[in-house]
Amino acid sequence: MKELSLNILDVAENSVKAGATLTQIIITEQDNLLTIEIVDDGCGMSEEVVRSVVDPFYTTRTTRKVGMGIPLLKLACEQTEGELSISSITQENDPVNHGTHVTATFHTDHIDFTPLGDVSASILTLIQGHPDTDFLFMHKKNGRVVKLDTRELREVLEDVPLNSYDVMEWIGEYLREQYEALS
Amino acid sequence: MKVNDLLAHGFKALCLTDGDREIDGVYVGDLLSWVMGRAQMDNAWITIMSNVNVVAVASLADTSCVILAEGVALPEDVRETAEAKDVNILGSDDPIYETAVKLAALLN
Repeated sequence: MKELSLNILDVAENSVKAGATLTQIIITEQDNLLTIEIVDDGCGMSEEVVRSVVDPFYTTRTTRKVGMGIPLLKLACEQTEGELSISSITQENDPVNHGTHVTATFHTDHIDFTPLGDVSASILTLIQGHPDTDFLFMHKKNGRVVKLDTRELREVLEDVPLNSYDVMEWIGEYLREQYEALS
Repeated sequence: MKVNDLLAHGFKALCLTDGDREIDGVYVGDLLSWVMGRAQMDNAWITIMSNVNVVAVASLADTSCVILAEGVALPEDVRETAEAKDVNILGSDDPIYETAVKLAALLN
């Protein structure tokens, strides 16, 4: 993918599909290292499934025989001499603290580094498509942070759906203002 | 023109499981997610990428063969996957552009 933000969207969609009630997307930029973490409290995966999701010929979808989301993200990491790791706890193993944690690291000074792209657009797409699940988004850079927590919004908005037009507009503007302060 | 026919024109067989496949058109690209949505069935796909994801993309797009240009080597584990998934992979010592030009001449 031409932007990492699309990979983020792809992995977070998997979290929602895994039944996550909260999906955390945390981007950290420190010197030349960029880390993307996607942490969910979904049903989790067995060790065998974790091994197989990095295999491009594995998919949970039935329409095709290969799933490319995680393999392409892993490739994007490794092209910059970074790495991708996945840890997961299944609901069966731990009924309370289950879920999946994907960590992708990139060296931003490598010539093959894929630009991060429009992360705000990815976050908006996620909320638009899944207004009933929660997302915590943080982008940390130079000691500052861009943050959006849909649980906080939900408390204020009460019964107003998160994907209603006005709320989406507001979230877009809220993220844009924070990004302006970040740069 | 069949994949097998390329062997007489300086292309090397790196993994040939179905040499009778017909080649219809050529696609060139290295960004795999991009290629995945654009390469057409039966295209010969020219690239310099040689990891296992190439085999998956070739399989998804149902290309007739992958051509590794610039003399790029095919790692043994990738060759094994290609063999298991019935994906033809040829090699060319020419740069990408020259490889594409050569193919264009052969296909016309």
